[in-house]
Amino acid sequence: MANIFPKWTNTAPLKAIACLLLFVGTVVAGVTYYATPKWTEVGHQPIQPVAFSHYLHAEQLGMDCRYCHTYVDRSEHSNVPGANTCMNCHNQVLANDDRLAPIRESYDSGEPVPWVRIHNTPDYVYFNHAVHVNRGVSCVECHGEINEMEVVYQAKPLSMAFCLECHRNPENFLRPPDEVYNLNWKPESAAAQIEMGEKFVHDWKVQPPQSCSGCHR
Amino acid sequence: MKRKTEHPEPTARELAGPRYWRSPDELAQTPEFQHLLEREFPEGASETTEADRRTFLKLMGASAAFAGLGLTGCRQPKAYILPYSKQPERMVPGVPIYYASSQPDCKGNIPLVVETHDARPTKIEGNPSYEAYGGGTDVYAQASILDLYDPDRLQRSFVKGGKQFNKAAATTQLSEISKIFTASKGEGLAFVAEPSTSPSRAKLVEELRKAMPGAIWAEYEPIDTGNPERALKAITGQPLRPVYDFGKASRILALDSDFLHAGSAGLSHTRGFAQGRKVKTKDEAKNMNRLYAVESNFTLTGGAADHRLRLASSHIPAFTALVLAEVIAQMGGDAELAAAIKAKGDGLQVKENWITECVKDLVEAAKSHGALVVAGCHQPVEVHILVFAINAFLSAAGHTVSYLELPENDAATLQDVAQALESGDVDTLVILGGNPAYDAPGDMNWSEAQQKAKQVIRYGYYDDETSELADLTIAASHYLESWGDGRTADGVYVPVQPMILPLFETLSELELLQVLATGQGADDYAYGFVREMYASISGDKTDLAFNAWLTEGVLENSGYQPVTDLDESVAGLAAGKAVGSAVFTPPTLGEDKLEVRITPSSHFYDGRYNNNAWMAEVPDPMTRICWDNVISVGPKLAKALGITPPTILMDEIGQLHMNANKFKRGKEQAPMGTLKINGVEVTGPLHIQPGLADYTVIVTLGFGRRKTGRIGTRLANRPGEGTGIGFDAYPLTTVASPALALGAAITVLDDAFEVANTQQHWSMEGRAILREGNAQEFIKDTKFAQKMGVESHSPPILGNARKDPLSEVVTEIPRGGSLYKTPEFTAPQQWGMVIDMNSCSGCNACVIACQSENNIPIVGKDQVLRGREMHWVRNDRYYATGPDYPTTEIPEDPQVSFMSVSCQHCELAPCESVCPVNATVHDEQGLNVMAYNRCVGTRYCANNCPYKVRRFNFFDYNKRERGEFYKGPLGTNVYKTEASQLTRMQKNPDVTVRMRGVMEKCTYCVQRIEAAKIDQKVKAGASADIKVPDGTIKVACQQVCPTDAIAFGDVADPNSKVSRIKTENDRNYAVLGYLNIRPRTTYLAKLRNPNPAMPDAYEMPLSRAEYKAKSKAVSHDDYGDHGGSHDKADGHHGSHNASSSHAEPAHADHPHDHPHPH
Repeated sequence: MANIFPKWTNTAPLKAIACLLLFVGTVVAGVTYYATPKWTEVGHQPIQPVAFSHYLHAEQLGMDCRYCHTYVDRSEHSNVPGANTCMNCHNQVLANDDRLAPIRESYDSGEPVPWVRIHNTPDYVYFNHAVHVNRGVSCVECHGEINEMEVVYQAKPLSMAFCLECHRNPENFLRPPDEVYNLNWKPESAAAQIEMGEKFVHDWKVQPPQSCSGCHR
Repeated sequence: MKRKTEHPEPTARELAGPRYWRSPDELAQTPEFQHLLEREFPEGASETTEADRRTFLKLMGASAAFAGLGLTGCRQPKAYILPYSKQPERMVPGVPIYYASSQPDCKGNIPLVVETHDARPTKIEGNPSYEAYGGGTDVYAQASILDLYDPDRLQRSFVKGGKQFNKAAATTQLSEISKIFTASKGEGLAFVAEPSTSPSRAKLVEELRKAMPGAIWAEYEPIDTGNPERALKAITGQPLRPVYDFGKASRILALDSDFLHAGSAGLSHTRGFAQGRKVKTKDEAKNMNRLYAVESNFTLTGGAADHRLRLASSHIPAFTALVLAEVIAQMGGDAELAAAIKAKGDGLQVKENWITECVKDLVEAAKSHGALVVAGCHQPVEVHILVFAINAFLSAAGHTVSYLELPENDAATLQDVAQALESGDVDTLVILGGNPAYDAPGDMNWSEAQQKAKQVIRYGYYDDETSELADLTIAASHYLESWGDGRTADGVYVPVQPMILPLFETLSELELLQVLATGQGADDYAYGFVREMYASISGDKTDLAFNAWLTEGVLENSGYQPVTDLDESVAGLAAGKAVGSAVFTPPTLGEDKLEVRITPSSHFYDGRYNNNAWMAEVPDPMTRICWDNVISVGPKLAKALGITPPTILMDEIGQLHMNANKFKRGKEQAPMGTLKINGVEVTGPLHIQPGLADYTVIVTLGFGRRKTGRIGTRLANRPGEGTGIGFDAYPLTTVASPALALGAAITVLDDAFEVANTQQHWSMEGRAILREGNAQEFIKDTKFAQKMGVESHSPPILGNARKDPLSEVVTEIPRGGSLYKTPEFTAPQQWGMVIDMNSCSGCNACVIACQSENNIPIVGKDQVLRGREMHWVRNDRYYATGPDYPTTEIPEDPQVSFMSVSCQHCELAPCESVCPVNATVHDEQGLNVMAYNRCVGTRYCANNCPYKVRRFNFFDYNKRERGEFYKGPLGTNVYKTEASQLTRMQKNPDVTVRMRGVMEKCTYCVQRIEAAKIDQKVKAGASADIKVPDGTIKVACQQVCPTDAIAFGDVADPNSKVSRIKTENDRNYAVLGYLNIRPRTTYLAKLRNPNPAMPDAYEMPLSRAEYKAKSKAVSHDDYGDHGGSHDKADGHHGSHNASSSHAEPAHADHPHDHPHPH
C-alpha cells in the first residue's frame, strides 16, 4: 500500500506545536508588556478646556498645592477647585483674557468647567489622599513633577504593583511632613533617604496595609 | 512617551447630571457624583454565562470574533471632573455629613442620624442622643430610605385619568379649593388624615379648622393601638399614655402583647427588657428578669418568654380577670371584689396553678416595685382597664409604668366620615396620607363611600387603591425631603430635617396644610413654621438654640409629663366599672369556630412598606417566610385539616422525624386554604406554625394589593419571577374588631403554592450550635456553655495556649493541629465581635441595616425559593421540643431561640484554603476579606464554609430587572434606565456594588474600619498615635441593635469592650468551635429564667435537655470538660494518642463530623 502521507508530515506536528508555542509566547509577552498601565496609562495627556499651567502657578508663582486642592489633607478625594477659587485672582489678573472665558462663564452661570480626568484608578480601588499626605507621602510620588508640567499628564502607572512598591518599602518614599507639598524637595542621597525613612517608619508606626482590605472594599 | 488624546465635549445632559439630582448646592455638578456614576461596573463586562452551555459557547465564539474590535477599549475611558462653580462652605467632597432627624410615626417619631454623601442620604441610623432607644432603630426606619428612591413613587400630582402637573400648579389648585371652603366655612368638607405627633401639624390643623369650622377632621390608622389610651381615658377622663420601663421590671406578664416588636415604643421596650437580661456574674443571674407570656400567636415576645402559655386571644379578657382576682386575693384585698372579678373569668380552662404561681411571683416582685403587666393594644379596652388595676395593685405605677399626659385630640374617626359620606353630607373629601381604600375595615365599604363624595382629593406617596378613586392626587414628599417636627412616644420634641431638596414635584404635609389653611403657599414656609414652633416649645428664639436642637436631634426635658396622683382607689373604681359592665365569657372555639388573629405584617406593616423591596425580602422572624403572607395554623388544627406532611426518616439511628411543613426540593409546598367567616372569604397558603393556640389562625395585613408599585404587584406572567405577593386580609377586619375575628372555618383546596421559606429545617437535632441554660444552672456552673458540644470531647482547641490571654491568642495563634498555613496578624489592632443571644430579640433590624450599608441587592421570590437570598446577616430561628416529645409530631409548645449569623471571620478560615485564586484571604488585622476582582466564582468557599454565610451572585442582581435574570445580556440593563438613576443614589459609595459571578459575605463593615483607621492616622500625622480608640467603630448591625447585643472592637486590646465581654463572661463560646477554625465572632449563651414553682417549669431549656439526652445515649454520664485530660498527654494536638481515647463511641450528637485531626 502506498504511503498516504509523505515523509515530511512526520515532523509537521512538532513544527505546528513549535509555531503555536512561539505565537502564544509572543502574545503573552506582548500582553504582559503592553497591556499594563505602565504602557497604556502613563503619558495620558488630554487637552483641558482651560489651558491651566501648573508650571506657571505652582513653580513660577510658588503657590501651594492646597490653595486650590483645598481638601487634599482632609478627604479621600483631592478636590478640583471651583471657578470661585480661580476668580479670587483672576477677577483682577487677566480679567478679560479669552483663555479664561470658560472660568468666567462657569462662575456666572453656575455650570461646572468640564475638566478631563487624567488620573483614574479602577472603581474598586478606594484610594485616600488625606492619609497619604498627612503621613509624609508627597504628591510627587504618584503625580510626578506636576510643578514642571505645562499640561498635566499621567506620570506614574498607578497600577497595583506601583502602589505595593511603596506599601512594601515605605522608607524609600517618606519625607518630612513639612516637605510633602514641596515638589522640588530631594533627599540628600539615597542612603540618607533610607535612614530618614526608616526613622519615620519606626517613629510614626508606619505600617501600610499590604492586603486586599487596605484598598478594596 | 506622551500621547495627546482629544475628547469630545460632554453633552449638555452629561453636564447637567441625571435629572433626578436636586440639592441645595446644585450637586449635579459635584465631582463626587460624577465619580459615582463612573463607579458602576463597566458595561458589557462578561455577560455570557447567564444562559445554558450551548448559548454560552455560541456567545464565546462570537465575542472571540469581535475581540479585535474591542481593543480600543484598552485606553482610558473618557471622564470629566465637574467641580462646583462656587464651592459651598463646609461641604468636603468625599466626606459624609451626618444630620439629625426623625422618622414620623403616628405614635412616636424615631430619632435618627442620617448619613449623607454630597447631600444624598444613603444610610439611616438611630440617634444615640435619645437615650430610650440608645441609637437603635427598627427595621422599618432602616428600610424607609429605600422608599425615598423608589422609582414607583408619585413624581407629580395628577388629575384622574390624565393631566400631570407640577408643584406650583398643585399649589394653585389647592389654594382655589381652600378659598371656596374658607368662604363656605368648611360646610361639606371632610378630611381624613393619618395621626401625627407633630406639634406644627397640630397647630396648622387648628388654624385650618378655625378657618373652616364646618369641616370634619378625622384621623385613621389601620393598626389601631389606641386601646390602652382609651382605657385610661375611661378611668381618669384624661388623655394618658402608659409608658413602660422594662429596664426596672424584674417580673413581667405579657397578655397577648408583642411588646418587643410593636410600634416605635417597642424599641425602648426591647432595650429595657434586654437590660434586665445582661448577665455576667452569678449575682446578675439571680437578678435576671423573668417574662411570662400568654398569647395566641407565636411572637418575638413569646419567643423571649421564660414561661409561655398558649391561649386564644379571645380568652385573654377572662384570663386577665382571673389574674386580677388572684392579685387582689394574694395582696389581701377585698375578697368580695376578688370573687366578683373571678366570676367574670368563669369557664376558662388554664393549667392548674399557672395563674396562682405567676401572680405569686409578680406579687413578690411588687415588693420592690419590679412587677409589670402589659396587654396587647388590640385587646379590648376592658382588658386594659383590668391591666391598669393590676399594675396599680402591684404598685407598678411610677416605677415600671408611668402615665404620661398627652395633648388633647378630638379628631373624628374614619367611621364618622363614612357615615357622613353615606348621608350625603360631604361634597369634598380630602385624604391626607394613608390608604383607606385598601386598609379601611372590611365591613365599612369605604371604597363605595368614598365615591359618594363629589370631589376626592388625595395626598399620597404612591398611585394606589385610594388615588385610583380620587379626582385629584397630590404627590407627597418623603420625610427625608421635608421640614417638620414631632414627638417620640414619650413626648420628646424632635426635628424632621430634609436631607435633600424634593426629588420630584411634591409637597410636604406642612406645605399642603399651609395652602389649605391660608390659601397660599411659600417654599420656605415649613422651615419657618417649625422654627416658630421650636421657639414656642423651648421658649428660646435664638438661632443658636434652634441649631443646637437640629444638631442634637432631641430637645432635653420636653417629654410628656407623668401624672402622679393616680392611686389605688382609682384602680379599684376602674376595676369595679369593668366588673359592672363587661362580659368576659370566653367564646367556645373549635375546628369550625376558629379565631382569626389579624396582625400587621413583619414585612409591610399595614401595607405602607408594600413597595419596599428590602421589607419584602427580609424573612419573617418566626415563620422565616418572605415575599408572601400565609395563613398560619397550629399543629393540632393542621392535623384536623389533614395537611400535616408525612414523617420522614431523619437520622441514622433510624428515628422518624417530621418537618412542620412540606418541602419539595427545598421549596415549601403550602396547601391553599380558604378562610371563611361571616360570608367573607380569604384564600391563601396554609403554613403550619408551631406554638399557636389550638384554634387560632394568624393572618397578616399589608399584602395582596390591588394597585401598588412593582415590588408589591403580582407578576405571575413574568418567567422567573415567582408568583404571589400575598393575599389581602383586610376584608376580615371589622370596625368593631379590627384585629380579631371569631367563628371562622378553613376549607383546604387542592392546589399547592410554593412559599419562599428561608429556613426549612427548624430543629438543632440536639446539636450544640445555639447554647442555652437556665439562670439557676448558670449560678451553679457559670462555664456550662463551654462544656457543651464536641469541644468537650475533643483535644482542647488552643492546646496549652488556651489559658493565654485573648490578646495573645489572637495575634500569636498557637498553631494547634492545623495543617493550614495561617496568616500573620501583624496589625496593631485585631477585630472581633461578640453577640449576646440573651439580649437578641430576633427583630431583624441588623439584617436590613447591613443590607442598607453594604449595597446588598434583593433577588426576588423565585431566587429565594432557590436559596439564593443575599443577606449577609441571617437570623436563624430554632425550635426545641425536649427529648420526651415524639419526633413524629409537630411540636405544639416549642421553645424558640434566635441566632444572628454572619461571616465569623475564622482565624483559620476553611474558605480560604479551598479558593483556587486567592480571592478570599486574610488580612493583617484578622479580617477574612473577599477580593471581588479576583473571584472567579467556583463557589468552593461557600461549600467549605461551616456557617454557610457566603452569598453568591448567581445573576447580575444589581444590573438586571427582577424577572429578567435569565435573559442575561438580552435583558434590560437597569444601569441605563431612568429608574436606576434613582435607586443607585441609595448605594453606599464606600462599598463596591458586586456583579454576577462573585462571592460576597460580611466584611465586618471594612469600609467603616478603614475610614476610622484613616481618620486616626490623619489625626496622628507625624506621631505614633495610630490606634483607633475603642468604641469609635460601630459596624452597621451593632449600631442598629436596640439591645446592644452586638459588640465589636479590637480583641488584641485586653481593655476593649469586646475583649472584656469575651474574657470576663463565661457564657462566651465559639459556634462549631471544635473545628479549630477559631472564629473571631463568638456568642454568649442564652439564659432562660423559669420559675421552679410553675406547672410548666423546666429543669433546663428544651434544646439543652434534648442535647443532653442524645449525648447521654452514647455513654457519657456528664458533659464534663474532657479537655483537661488531654493537657498532659499532648501540647501537640491532633496526635493519635490524644484522640484515640475518644475514638470508640460514635457521638450521636455530632454524627456528621469527627473533629479529631489525624
